[in-house]
Amino acid sequence: MSPNINPLVLFFASIFTSNILLSNFLGMCSFISISKNLKSSNGLGMAVAMVMTVTTALNWIVEKYIIIPFQIEYLRYIIYIIVIAAVVQILEMLIDRISPNLYISLGIFLPLITVNCAILGVALFMQLRNYTLLQSVFFGLGSGLGWWLAIVLLGAIRMKVDKAPVPAPLKGVGITLITIGIMAMAFMGFAGMINVQ
Amino acid sequence: MGKKYKEVFLKNTWYENPVFVLVLGICSTLAVTNNLKNTLIMTIGVMLVTGFSNLTVSLLKNLIPSKVRMMTQVLIISFYVIIVDIILRAYLPDVSKALGPYVGLIITNCIIMGRAEAFAQSNDPIISFWDGITSGLGYMIVLVAIAFFRELLGFGTIFGYRVMPENFVNWTIMIMPPSAFFMLAIFIWIVKGFKKEGAK
Amino acid sequence: MKEKKLYTIIFTFVVSFVFVLILSYINFLTYDKIVENQKFSKISAVLNSMGIEYKDEKDALEIFNSTVKEIELGGLKFYVSTVNGEKVYAYVFSGNGLWGTINGVICVNENVDRIIGIDIISHNETPGLGGRIEENWFKNQFKNEKIKGEIKLVNTQELGDKDKDNSSVDAITGATLTSKFFIQIVNNSLAEIRKALRGE
Repeated sequence: MSPNINPLVLFFASIFTSNILLSNFLGMCSFISISKNLKSSNGLGMAVAMVMTVTTALNWIVEKYIIIPFQIEYLRYIIYIIVIAAVVQILEMLIDRISPNLYISLGIFLPLITVNCAILGVALFMQLRNYTLLQSVFFGLGSGLGWWLAIVLLGAIRMKVDKAPVPAPLKGVGITLITIGIMAMAFMGFAGMINVQ
Repeated sequence: MGKKYKEVFLKNTWYENPVFVLVLGICSTLAVTNNLKNTLIMTIGVMLVTGFSNLTVSLLKNLIPSKVRMMTQVLIISFYVIIVDIILRAYLPDVSKALGPYVGLIITNCIIMGRAEAFAQSNDPIISFWDGITSGLGYMIVLVAIAFFRELLGFGTIFGYRVMPENFVNWTIMIMPPSAFFMLAIFIWIVKGFKKEGAK
Repeated sequence: MKEKKLYTIIFTFVVSFVFVLILSYINFLTYDKIVENQKFSKISAVLNSMGIEYKDEKDALEIFNSTVKEIELGGLKFYVSTVNGEKVYAYVFSGNGLWGTINGVICVNENVDRIIGIDIISHNETPGLGGRIEENWFKNQFKNEKIKGEIKLVNTQELGDKDKDNSSVDAITGATLTSKFFIQIVNNSLAEIRKALRGE
């Protein structure tokens, strides 16, 4: 049974109140290493948002028409990750053909995405929570945009923080984590704004 | 021979600990660190998966065509993660329920992939297995330490048993996601501070 | 070059085939166990909500088969049993949580003026936050709670609302929305049960 939740509510909730990165910690690896630079943060964020939307919808279709009819639930993880890898490959080729300019700014990030936990995470959440296709698309898009927003914000903050005097052992990763923590707290404040239902 | 094993052990648990030196692989597990039991089981899962996938990658390293190397590694990792998932579901249904999708997310844990690429690809099977297990161990130490403090301060319990006095006011922030970031930052701060002292 | 391509394809096929074969075998081995676990989780939830104690899985199944009856009343399916000389009705509910469907069992007395107990079968809330609806302190708040109109949500500083006559339960810190949804599900099911049992 699918839960009766308005897709739009889901969309906003997954951007703000339950940001996949700040409340579920998904996609941390590339988040920390890439956010050093604002420009690449933006590129990676965009790529993640795009791949996430497409793969969530595709995985929903695969789940419904392949995994469930053939009763191969136990192979779910492998199938999802193959779908994600395939989408990333195809997207890479497509972007290369259509817009070489975009490829230069986006292309290098695409291979990184296959092993981005957030993408697989969103697909798994979507399956576990039994969303409908429409809900899944909004959930995927919302989570992707939320991730994008978070990494751009962090990228911008880090540019300043990296120049600030902080205790030596805390420099780099340490202060970044504290920044993320404060960001996560700020995002929690959105909970009052979007009262689901 | 034994020296090499010791070297790998020390490197993975302390000098180049994947979590506080490289900040890898915290995605899947950080979310469950407000509960010690879940964290322990998750990290044991990660440890086993890292060990065995390292072993398998190392065994197959000469057979894997370079074009599908990444794909094969992902396949091997997913294979072990699914086994862990099935075992949890069959024998520890409560834990499996509590962890939900996070077990599946072990697949995308960067440490496993990283170790397979960096170590197993160019080393013998047995030492690769050892490398995987110790990397997992280093990971476990950090996350269990974080979980220990989060559960202690957030709920006043350890493994679900109440240890704090009855009038202890729970630190709500410790239960919430942001505290995981703060705890990890503090952890890194302390460890790096220590290392600096040692270097002097 | 052509040979290499062929090798890549064959290799990928063979590896995938072997892994999938092993996985399906493991899945086959544990399939019965997993189905049994699922069945058991429902039975144990019904027994827990009634406050009937059991030692292990087998014991639970025996008690369930000997003391609990399934009946249909007013279009709803109830599990009926007698506890301490009082007839109790358990009803399996399902409703929207913050993230997905919450399934559980609520047990009431014959007049529907007291909740006997509540248990959760499955949910998809965030582990450690909304997922805490599964924890005993939260569920125990409902035990013997008087039903006056609707069950309300309060915020106490302690863990759980101890007053059994005020028809209120404590919200989960950090998961107010999940708590709100859960209370709504409880109130909806109570309304349905009242309609079925008392014809209101």
